[in-house]
Parts: sequence; structure tokens; C-alpha cells
Amino acid sequence: MPEIRMTVIDESGLHARPAARFVQAASRFSSRIVIRNGEREADAKSLISLLGLAVRLSSVITVAAEGTDADAALASLTDELSPYVTPINGTVSQ
Amino acid sequence: MSLVLVSHSKSLAEGLRDMVVQVAGDNVHVAAAGGTADGRLGTNAEAIVAALRAILAESGDGVLVLLDLGSAWLSVEVALEELSDTERARIHVSEAPLVEGAVLAAVQASVGGTLSEVAAAAAGAASMSKAPGGSTNA
Repeated sequence: MPEIRMTVIDESGLHARPAARFVQAASRFSSRIVIRNGEREADAKSLISLLGLAVRLSSVITVAAEGTDADAALASLTDELSPYVTPINGTVSQ
Repeated sequence: MSLVLVSHSKSLAEGLRDMVVQVAGDNVHVAAAGGTADGRLGTNAEAIVAALRAILAESGDGVLVLLDLGSAWLSVEVALEELSDTERARIHVSEAPLVEGAVLAAVQASVGGTLSEVAAAAAGAASMSKAPGGSTNA
């Protein structure tokens, strides 16, 4: 299950608008996609689930995807979130 | 999928429409029906009918109606009676809290959700916490 870690750089954390962009991007893929923040885990295709993650400035989140289009999904989501997060290099794992 | 936001306040309905479109994107049609015909606080069945007809004409699929307070339900019922059975069949009236319900419904609509999926997303707002990380003064 490939995953990527990133640090949140938006002062407001993962607020409604970027969370909605994330849900929209994730919904284009068939893979199961989750975001983890500490011990909490959210379904990336559900806004209510994402907004419950309490992602704040400087939170380190992990996005993980499982499915046939998992790698493409992670690449797309990293791109979609780029205004709000900085990927942590070398953390992409299979 | 489209939304109609019904509020006792015109500014509340229109402000929420602006917010919802910014969050979900402008490919989701959102109409606001707030206030009475003479600009006071209240709901107006005629304005709700007009909003429903406009939005039904704009998009070929379903419409979710969200309300601010229960007393708006009466105006919505009157409005629905004005519509044909075919029009009514494409409309679902949600009991979800207005702001959270509208945002969740619009994002679900923006990813191609059906009327029942969008209605279910809005219904989830009833159990949505305002303080997901835990309230600091609970």
C-alpha cells in the first residue's frame, strides 16, 4: 500500500475548501484512499470524515492508497494539496 | 445534482450559497430562497417555487432542499404543492442542519453523487462535531 507523508503548511490547517478539493480529487480514483493524522484515520472520499481529522498547521499527515490506481491517485493528491502541504522527501513507500 | 437553500433571512441564504459554491466549486447549481417578498425575516413559498423551478430547469437531475429552521418546512410544503408530480419526484427535502448539510451535500454533488447519495451526505451533518480535535472548554 503506497503512502506519502506531508507537513501541513496552511495556517488554517485542512479547512473546508482544501478538504473539499481533496475529496473531489480522491473521488476520481477507484482505490481506497485514507488520510491519517496521528491515531485518527479518515476516508479521503468523505468530507465529513476529513473534517473530523482535526488537521492543523504543522500536522504531519499520511496519505495512503490501495488499489489498481493507487500510485496515480497519490501523485494527483500530492499535486492537488500542494498549496497547503509540503511532502516529506523520501517517505514514499510501497 | 443541485441545492436549494431556504432561510428566514435573505442574506443568510445568499451568503451560504456563496460559501457553498466556493467550497464545492461552481459546477454545482445552488439557489437561495430567503426572506419574505417584502424583505422581512420569514420564508416565502413563491420564492421557493421560483428557486425550485429555476434549478430544475437548469439541471436534469435531482434537487436537495435544505432549511434553516423547522418553520420553513410549512412554506416548502406549500411550494411543493405548486409543482407537478414529475417535478416533485426529483426533489428531496433534508432535515440536516443548514450550513454543514449544504457544504457536505454540495461536495458530494460535485463528485457526481446521486440524489440519495447527496441526501445521505447532508444527513451526516446531524452528527458532525464542531470541535473534531476536542473542545478546549468543554
